[in-house]
Amino acid sequence: MTSKKFLCIQRSQPGERQQPSPSQMQEMYAVFNKWREKFSANIVDMGGRLGGGKVASADGVKDGPFVEAKEIVGGFMIITAESIEEAVKIASECPGVVSPGSCVEVREITTP
Amino acid sequence: MTPPSLDDNFFRHEYGRLVSRLSCHVGVQHLQEVEDAVQVALLKALEAWEYTGLPENPVAWLYRVAWNCLLGELRKQNRKSRILREQFAFEVTSTSDESCTSDEIQDELLRMLFVCCDETIPIDSQVVLALKTLCGFDVGEIAIRLFTTSANVYKRLDRARERLRETTTDAFDLNCEMVVHRLPAVQQVLYVLFTEGYFSSNSNCVIRRELCDEAIRLAKVLASHPLGQQASTYALLALMHLHIARFAGRTSLSGGLLLLEEQNRQEWNQQEIGEGLSYLAMSAEGDEFSRFHAEAGIAAEHCLAPTFKDTRWDRIVEMYELLETTAVSPVHALNRAVAVAEWKSPIDGLSILDSLTPPTWLSGSYMWAAVYSDIHHRCGNIESACRYRSIAIETAPSDAIRELIKRRLQFP
Repeated sequence: MTSKKFLCIQRSQPGERQQPSPSQMQEMYAVFNKWREKFSANIVDMGGRLGGGKVASADGVKDGPFVEAKEIVGGFMIITAESIEEAVKIASECPGVVSPGSCVEVREITTP
Repeated sequence: MTPPSLDDNFFRHEYGRLVSRLSCHVGVQHLQEVEDAVQVALLKALEAWEYTGLPENPVAWLYRVAWNCLLGELRKQNRKSRILREQFAFEVTSTSDESCTSDEIQDELLRMLFVCCDETIPIDSQVVLALKTLCGFDVGEIAIRLFTTSANVYKRLDRARERLRETTTDAFDLNCEMVVHRLPAVQQVLYVLFTEGYFSSNSNCVIRRELCDEAIRLAKVLASHPLGQQASTYALLALMHLHIARFAGRTSLSGGLLLLEEQNRQEWNQQEIGEGLSYLAMSAEGDEFSRFHAEAGIAAEHCLAPTFKDTRWDRIVEMYELLETTAVSPVHALNRAVAVAEWKSPIDGLSILDSLTPPTWLSGSYMWAAVYSDIHHRCGNIESACRYRSIAIETAPSDAIRELIKRRLQFP
């Protein structure tokens, strides 16, 4: 069975979040590295965080992302897995992705 | 690929180093901006390093980002207020070099420590300021460690920052007279930091130990500079090591507190004792005799006694007497009474206690009641012993201490 690719889209609620302390950052860094190491074979593209942008449409170009949205897309990454279940498991173990106020959407990337 | 690794306290300690360093460059009156810039740099580092791995020189990376961020903020303010303009013209050029020797970093940390110990800042604010700026704990973490509320920590910090904002730009270099004058205050803050960790009734050993380790780290920075190389600094380090040597032995496997006489002396850390004794030897050079000398001397006697019974109580009594001459406190007299009870007799201990007129904070405390109860008991005054025992149990600040009192004062 060939591996499939999945796009993981991280979303979070807009607004100020409490800043982590240096000790907490240390912890976050360590936990994230552990996750990355555990699933290094599955990570195709670490992706990145998404900054502000613009939205192009038939009506012209508007400032984006959609300000009225309740959740904003914070970042993305591409992973490989045998199944959507496995992909969801990998994504949900990623520290910081599934935390209060944020979630991750996992979608299979299908190519013809 | 081996995962990139950083020291256990990299983020926290780097926070302290960067705050010290940048405050040196732009002046402590901009402490708030400096701290904000360092926080931003650490967050950026976390984000970037998670994705790309560690840069070749993480320390330089952080410094560059923090410095640029700080500069941007100050320029923004600068545009708003013209007064600052000339001030920054020279600073920007003078600090473009990011290479820095470890000596310089130590000096900057030390300088910041002296800044924190401004005598116009109340001591409890000094301690909070040091924990925030030098140790990199945030307000919530400080509140937990000092057993107080976040609101209280904010209040203390604000008081300190307000004072620092009034400081002139060219704060001071490490050799000026004012700094020498501040040495006792610096030692005092380190001492408080240590005792907050060591004697706190907080049941979390890990966070208490962390405070002790921070105090030792900063005390070593002080002792590494000619300015701090005084007998009293060595005595302070001696007492820290001689106490920390017994840290693990003070708690039972179930986490309860153990009395000195119950502790397994095999568990005391011989390496720490050795280090403490060598600092004690260094502290004995010269004529100075500080309260730290007396306290280190007492700790050394306990560390060197093969058993509780074989402790040289006469030496300990003598040291408490010396301590009372350098630092008057009814707590020292209370401890002397305990030592005299061991050395001579419980009746001699009791007569010292009876001669004291303790302030209400002490006479109403569990410590006072527990000692009184024990000595009365050993003198055969059962009724008084029971009465004081109930007071001690009632006023105990934590369950661990309540357990300890009940076990220690077991009599009908």
